[in-house]
Amino acid sequence: MKHRLNATWHRSLIAGSALALIALGTLAQAAEVVNLGALRFTSHAAGYIAYEKGYFRDQGIDLKFKFFQAAQPVAVAIASGDVDFGVTALTGGFFNLAGKGALQVIGGVWHEEKGMNGSAILVSNKAFDAGFKTVDQFPGKSIGITQLGSSFHYMAGQIAEANGFDFKEIKLKPLQKVGAIIGALKSGQVDSFIIAPHIAKGLVNAGAAKQIGWLYDYAPYQVTTVFTSTKNTKEKSDLVGRFMKAYGRGVADFRRVMLDQDKDPAATEAMTKLIHKYVYASRPYAKAAPSIKSGAINLNAGNALDVGDVDKQLKWFQAQKLVSSGFSVRDIVDLSYVQAYNIPN
Amino acid sequence: MNLQMQNIGHSYEDLQVLDGIDLHIDEGQIVCIVGPSGCGKSTLLRLIGGLEVADSGTVLMDGEPPESCLNPLTYVFQDFALLPWRTVEKNISLVLEDHPLSPAARATIIDDVLRRTHLSEFKDVFPRQLSGGMKQRVAIARALAVKPAVMLMDEPLSALDSQTRELLMEDLVDLWGRERFTAVYVTHNLSEAVRLGHRIVVLSRRPGRICEVVDIDTPLDQRDTANPELAQKVKILWQLLHDEARAADRELANV
Amino acid sequence: MSEQPPSPASPPRPTPHPVPFRGGGFNPRPLGIVGPLVFVGLIGLWELGSQTGVIGALFLPAPSEAFAALNELFQSGFLWKHLSASLQRLAMGWSLGSLAGVLVGLSIGLFSLARAGLVPVVSALFPIPKIALLPLFIIWFGIGEGSKVATLFFGSFFPTVIATYGGVDAVDRGLIRMGQSFNLSWLSIVRKIVLPGALPAILSGCRISASIAIILLVAAEMIGAEFGVGAYILLAGNLMAMDQLIAGVVLLSSMGLIVAFLIGKAERRLLRWRR
Repeated sequence: MKHRLNATWHRSLIAGSALALIALGTLAQAAEVVNLGALRFTSHAAGYIAYEKGYFRDQGIDLKFKFFQAAQPVAVAIASGDVDFGVTALTGGFFNLAGKGALQVIGGVWHEEKGMNGSAILVSNKAFDAGFKTVDQFPGKSIGITQLGSSFHYMAGQIAEANGFDFKEIKLKPLQKVGAIIGALKSGQVDSFIIAPHIAKGLVNAGAAKQIGWLYDYAPYQVTTVFTSTKNTKEKSDLVGRFMKAYGRGVADFRRVMLDQDKDPAATEAMTKLIHKYVYASRPYAKAAPSIKSGAINLNAGNALDVGDVDKQLKWFQAQKLVSSGFSVRDIVDLSYVQAYNIPN
Repeated sequence: MNLQMQNIGHSYEDLQVLDGIDLHIDEGQIVCIVGPSGCGKSTLLRLIGGLEVADSGTVLMDGEPPESCLNPLTYVFQDFALLPWRTVEKNISLVLEDHPLSPAARATIIDDVLRRTHLSEFKDVFPRQLSGGMKQRVAIARALAVKPAVMLMDEPLSALDSQTRELLMEDLVDLWGRERFTAVYVTHNLSEAVRLGHRIVVLSRRPGRICEVVDIDTPLDQRDTANPELAQKVKILWQLLHDEARAADRELANV
Repeated sequence: MSEQPPSPASPPRPTPHPVPFRGGGFNPRPLGIVGPLVFVGLIGLWELGSQTGVIGALFLPAPSEAFAALNELFQSGFLWKHLSASLQRLAMGWSLGSLAGVLVGLSIGLFSLARAGLVPVVSALFPIPKIALLPLFIIWFGIGEGSKVATLFFGSFFPTVIATYGGVDAVDRGLIRMGQSFNLSWLSIVRKIVLPGALPAILSGCRISASIAIILLVAAEMIGAEFGVGAYILLAGNLMAMDQLIAGVVLLSSMGLIVAFLIGKAERRLLRWRR
C-alpha cells in the first residue's frame, strides 16, 4: 500500500515537472529580456508596481532592474546599449547625449503640477531667522545644487525667471550629493535647497529647515521622463510600445492608490509595502512607510508627455551654454507611444 | 697636552671588547695602535675622543691644550666623512662656522690649511670629483683647521690603494716634520705603523688588552722601506700578532 | 668521416680568427625623438579613427574637437579663471602640506618620542582616501576655500612626512658623528648635515605629493567650486561634454608636467653636488 502510494506520487511528480518545464520553456521563448535602469526613489514606483503585478510579463517582457546610484549613468548606460529603458530627470548631460542622436524621450513620468504634492523650496534655519522668508528674497542668497547642469540647477533657474530677477544673483553651490546639500543646509552653509517632498517633509518636521514655498507655484515642470535608445525606437518599436503599455498600467495603479491615500487605506498600505521592497528597503517598514507615502508625487496619467516643457528646458540649457545648440526638441522626442500635450509650434 | 688612559674596559651588550687598557699619549708623538680585526682598536679611539663613554676606567686630558686650539681632540675618519654637498672650501669652513671667528679669519685659516696640504687649487671642487687620496687630504686639512691638540686617526689610509697610501704617508711624515702634531693612529697595517709610529701599541684579540708596546727611535724621515731595522720591527710585530690574528679570524662574528 | 678515429698526430690547426663579440645589448640608449614621435603617432591615429568614423563621436571625441574646446576656453577667458583658481588652491594646500610634512617628518627623524608617538598615527591616516573625508572637511572647514585647501593639504602632508623621515633615517650616521666630533652644535648638525642629507628624499617626496595634490584637485573642487580645472572637468562629465572633458584632462596633465619640470629644475639646482 505504502509502496503503491509512493509510486503514484512519484509519477505525478514527473508529470508535474514536465508540465512546469514546458510552461517555463514557452515563457522563456516568448518573453523578451528587457533592462530597466532604476533608482530607488518613490518616483520610480510605477515600474516596481508594474513588475510586481506582472504587467510586464503580460506583455511578454521579462523585465530586469538595473539599479543605479545616480541619474546620469542611466543615460550613459542606455546610450552604450547596456540598459534598454530609463526614467530620470532631464539634465544637461542627458540633453547632450540625446543631441548626439543616442536617446529618445518616449513618455512623461513625474510632472510638477499646481496643488499636487511636489518639490518644496526650503531655506536653512539660519537664513530664515535672518529674514529669508519669501521666495522673492532669493537674490544674493545661495542655493545648494548637486551639479551644474542638473535638474537642481534648472529649478533654481526657473525660480529666478518666474520672479523676474537675474539668475546671476543666486549663488550656486554645487555639492555633488543630496546628502552633502542636506548637511550644508542644516549647518547653514547654504541658504536654500529645492528638493522632493519625501526629503523636504522629513527636514521640516525635524525642524532642520523651513519651507517657504512650492516649486509648482512658479511653473509646471516635466521633472522625469521615460527614455530609450534611438536604436530601440527604430528597430524594436513594437517592444517599446508593449513596455509603455505595461509601465502605464503601473502608473495608473499608483495614481489611483497613492495620490488619494485616504480613500482606501488597505490598498495604500499594500502598495506602500510593495514599493518598500525597492525603496528604503534597508529601513524597517514602520520607518520607511511615512517617507514613501509622503513621496507620492504626481505621475503623468498614461505617461502623457509635456512636450512644451521639455522644449523649454532644452532651450534654457542651451541658453546657459550647457548644451550644444545644434538640435531642437523634435530631434529627441518620439511621440508615437504616448499622448503628447502642450506641443510647441 | 698629554692623554692618559686608565684601566679602560668596554663591552657591547654581553660582548667585552676592551679590558684594562692603560696608556699614555705624549705630546708630539704619533702612537700607532695595531691589532687583529675586532680587537676594539676603533672603539678605543672613539672612547679617547669622547664619542662613546667607557664602561669602566677614564681618559684624562693632562695639561691645557694650546690657546689657539679650537677642537682639542679631532678625528680623521677612514671613510673621510666629507659632506658631499659642500665644496672642499665649505667642508673645511663647516667646522669653523660654530666658532666666533670673523669671515676674514675663517678664510685665512682655510687658505692656510689648504696650502699646507697642497689643496689650494681644489678649493671649489665637490668631493665626488676627487680621488680617495685627495678626499683624505681634505679631511686632514679639515682636521688641521681646528688646530687640534691630538689627532685621532681611524685607519685613515685603509680605504685607499697602496700607491696612494704611500704618497699620503710621505705627506704625513712631511707634515709631522713641520708641525710635530700629536696623534693616535689606529691601523691594521703593520708597515704603516712602522713608518709613522714613534710608539706602537699591540692589542690582543677580543677582548683587547695591551700585549706589547714597541718604541721605534728611528726619526720618521729616515724610515724608508729598505731600512733593515724597520723590516726587523715588522717581523717582530707580525710574530706577536700572528697567532692572535689567526684565532680572531676563526671567531664567529658577534656570536 | 665520423667513423674515422681522430688522427694520433696533432690535429689540424684552425686558421687564427678574431674573438667573437658577445657583449652587446642590455644597454638602453637615449633616443630622444622616439617619445614625441609615438605621442604624435597615437594622436594622429586617434584623429584618423574619429574622422573616418571608426571611433564613434559618442565614445571618444576627436583630438581636434578637444583642441577646439580648449581653444574656446582660451578665447572666452575662462581658462585663466579656472587655472588661477586651481593654482591658488594647489599653491596653498601643497606648500602648507609639504612644509608641515617636512617639519613633522624631521621631528620624527630626530626625536624618539615623536617617532614613537607619530609614526603609528601617520601610518594609520596615510592610506585613508582624502575623498572619503570630504564630508568631514566640509563640516570642519566649510564649503568655501577651506575644505578644498584642506583636502590638498592632507593629501600632500602624509607622503612628505614619510619621505622626510625616511630621508633623515638614511643620512650617513658617519657624517653626524663627524659633526659631533668637531663639536658642532645640535642646530648646526640638523641644518648643515641632516637637512641637506635628507634633501634628495624630501624632493622626491615633493614630486609624489605634488602629483597627489593634482589628483586630489578634482575631488577638492567637487564641493562648491565655481571655477577650477577640477570643477571644469566635473562639469564636462556632468554634461557628457567629452571634448571639454578631454580638454580638462589635458590641462591637468600639463599642470603635472609643469610641476614635474619645476621640481626637476629645483633638484638639479639643489642637488648639483650629486651629479
